[in-house]
Amino acid sequence: MTLQECYAAMGGNYEEVLGRLRSDRLIQKFVLKFVDDGSYQLLLDSMASNNYEEAFRAAHTIKGVCQNLGLTRLLRSSSQLSEALRHGYTPEADGLTEEVTRDYQEAVAAIRAFQASLGT
Amino acid sequence: MKQTRKEKILIVDDSELNRAILADMLGEEYDIVEAENGLEAVAILQRMGPELSLVLLDIVMPEMDGFGVLDTMNQNRWIDDIPVIMISAESGSSHIERAYELGVTDFIARPFDALIVHRRVVNTILLYAKQKKLVGMVADQIYEKERQGNLMIDILSHIVEFRNGESGLHVLHVRTLTELLLRRLSQKTDRYRLTPGEISIITTASALHDIGKIAIDEHILNKPGRLTSEEFAVMKTHTTVGADMLENLPIHQHDPLVNVAYQICRWHHERYDGRGYPDGLEGDAIPISAQVVALADVYDALTSQRVYKPPFSHEEAVQMILDGQCGTFNPLLLECLQENAETIRAGLAADSQAQRDQREMRNVAQEMHRHEELAASERTLQLLEHERMKYSFFAAMTQEIQFEYTASPAMVTLSAWGAEKLGLGETVMDPLRSGGVLALIDQEWIQGLSNALHSTCPDQPVVTYDCPLNLGGERRWFRIVARATWSADEPARYTGAIGKAIDIHDSRMKLHALEQMASHDTLTGLLNHAYAKKRILERIESRPTASYALAIFDLDHFKSANDTYGHTFGDHVLIHVAEKLRQSIRGGDIAARVGGDEFLIFLEHKGDVEPVVSRIFESLCGTYEDFTISVSMGVAPTALVGCDYDTLFHAADQALYTVKRGGRGQYRFYDESMRQMLSAISPIDSGEEADTAPADQKGDRPI
Repeated sequence: MTLQECYAAMGGNYEEVLGRLRSDRLIQKFVLKFVDDGSYQLLLDSMASNNYEEAFRAAHTIKGVCQNLGLTRLLRSSSQLSEALRHGYTPEADGLTEEVTRDYQEAVAAIRAFQASLGT
Repeated sequence: MKQTRKEKILIVDDSELNRAILADMLGEEYDIVEAENGLEAVAILQRMGPELSLVLLDIVMPEMDGFGVLDTMNQNRWIDDIPVIMISAESGSSHIERAYELGVTDFIARPFDALIVHRRVVNTILLYAKQKKLVGMVADQIYEKERQGNLMIDILSHIVEFRNGESGLHVLHVRTLTELLLRRLSQKTDRYRLTPGEISIITTASALHDIGKIAIDEHILNKPGRLTSEEFAVMKTHTTVGADMLENLPIHQHDPLVNVAYQICRWHHERYDGRGYPDGLEGDAIPISAQVVALADVYDALTSQRVYKPPFSHEEAVQMILDGQCGTFNPLLLECLQENAETIRAGLAADSQAQRDQREMRNVAQEMHRHEELAASERTLQLLEHERMKYSFFAAMTQEIQFEYTASPAMVTLSAWGAEKLGLGETVMDPLRSGGVLALIDQEWIQGLSNALHSTCPDQPVVTYDCPLNLGGERRWFRIVARATWSADEPARYTGAIGKAIDIHDSRMKLHALEQMASHDTLTGLLNHAYAKKRILERIESRPTASYALAIFDLDHFKSANDTYGHTFGDHVLIHVAEKLRQSIRGGDIAARVGGDEFLIFLEHKGDVEPVVSRIFESLCGTYEDFTISVSMGVAPTALVGCDYDTLFHAADQALYTVKRGGRGQYRFYDESMRQMLSAISPIDSGEEADTAPADQKGDRPI
């Protein structure tokens, strides 16, 4: 699996990222790091414990990372979720959390597949 | 330009991935320092300050957000010297506006573009470096210009004096005095908000106080005798004429120097009581600039020779001013004059242009001091970094709770080991109100520590303070040794403290136990004789004129209790009696077991002591199980035998002996008839050694 194929599977925009980061090496390095980022787990935990302020920050952080890595699909859902939580809980937040979960797991699955194909 | 060290950039973002991307984009050219929330960022800014060339700052973060960091940077004026570039996905214009208002230099929006990030960072750092250099150059030029300005004013005012037939020194003296008085005044009070800049302006403008005299007829100006009332009326106009001249200047109307000179010209003949001229202003309605110059003018007129009078001495002049012979002045200023008397006497004679330039230089230096980072050279920074490395190395090696406190922003930084030990973060904002800190140390203790540090002075800044800390559910005593830090300016300001906390709980407890053991009788828990004697002597010494009484008693037939029921029973009787004794004495009384079955009581009394003694005596008598407790007691009042302890003890002992011989079960006061009596206990000179004898060997001796 190439990096480009990985991006296609994640619903990301490879061309746009390459335009900004300017090197395959950098993109690959950060995409692989994405799997270890704790913000997603923090989001789920905060939602579960009704800590919506923390949940907002976690969603906002995911959004920021997705912007930088060009993960368009997850960017859209996490961005909507962070707006839904900006001033505390709103009913849409629950559905959006599910969307973020789905998009995140898709992205992680694609990255893991890509990592496996690197043979490391 | 040779690059000897890399510029340092602080990246503040709660996402590690985002920090890593930025760090990578900036590449090898810079040293990157990272913080994952606002609080950490403030701690790093506090620690590294001017070493940082740039801050890249996220907005939404836990603990403290980006705006909080900007607020703190503004409060401490760090924002003047360290540029901030805001990073954010927030594109709302209200966010951007607020950030710019708080002083950020630029924005980088997510997603990051490597080229843009790199270029913005390079540009901002270059811009600031240039700006710092320019600030330095401008300061130099201002200084040069000010020097020339002073020269012009000197020439101008000298012309006025020349016409006045004065020496030319008057302007110089008034200026020196004005500056001395203002400096003193600004140390004494904040009422007039005198900054070094304002003092400098008033001092310079003071030279112009008499320019109005240029319009006064020379005959009036230089008339040797007393002026007629008409002449005086003309003379008085020099105030308004001078002010008008300044007011009608075609340019520089709003220059602070011109404004201050106007105040001085117009009002330097006003009086604090409102009886001066031209406007009859009263009290602080007269600008402080004019008040000070008026006093300086009068003082110098008194101590200088004039066509109509010889010079007065410094002492005479000050006395005449204080007596109100030359007008009325602000009492604060009169204090300044008196307090500065020595400097003035010595200073006026010797004041030369060179000294004045030196003072001026000092002012500029003080101004520059606010931008001290300008002067921080490469080498200074390297030394600083070296010291810091040394410090953190040793701090990590010693397992100690070390801390650094800064008053503004109110913040405590703890050594890594200390933070873990106390269960706090390494940085705690506003510690006097932090929940974590208050759970650890009670409000009044921390307030006490704060007070102790505040009341130090730069010469003696070290405080040793013992207090309990609640560590993991246990209350333990710690000794805090701290050094308050004071600013270098005058008057010195309290800026914080450094120090460490040492666990002294075990040694303190041990000491306490030892003290308890050394001072108390182990069987009854009463004081022992040696310690009681010490307390009694202290009491007498603290209030030597009060009346006291010393009573000694023992138990009748105690030996038979021991013999009949055994020593354990005897011990229980003694414990019982001690408890009765404890209950019957008053709070301030001293009770002790002298040894064996003998006890002593030391009482302070105002009126007749007998009722007190009688009540205690009655309460001691009774039974313990089958044993009837009967007591013999001898009492010696200080009113009769004086306050010497041995004499007192001996007299009580003799009284007790008298009771013993007279049939026991009573109390008696010492009187002269007992002088030749033997001792019931032992000879006084070996009294204390005898106390250690076991109870059964002493008991109730036959007479």
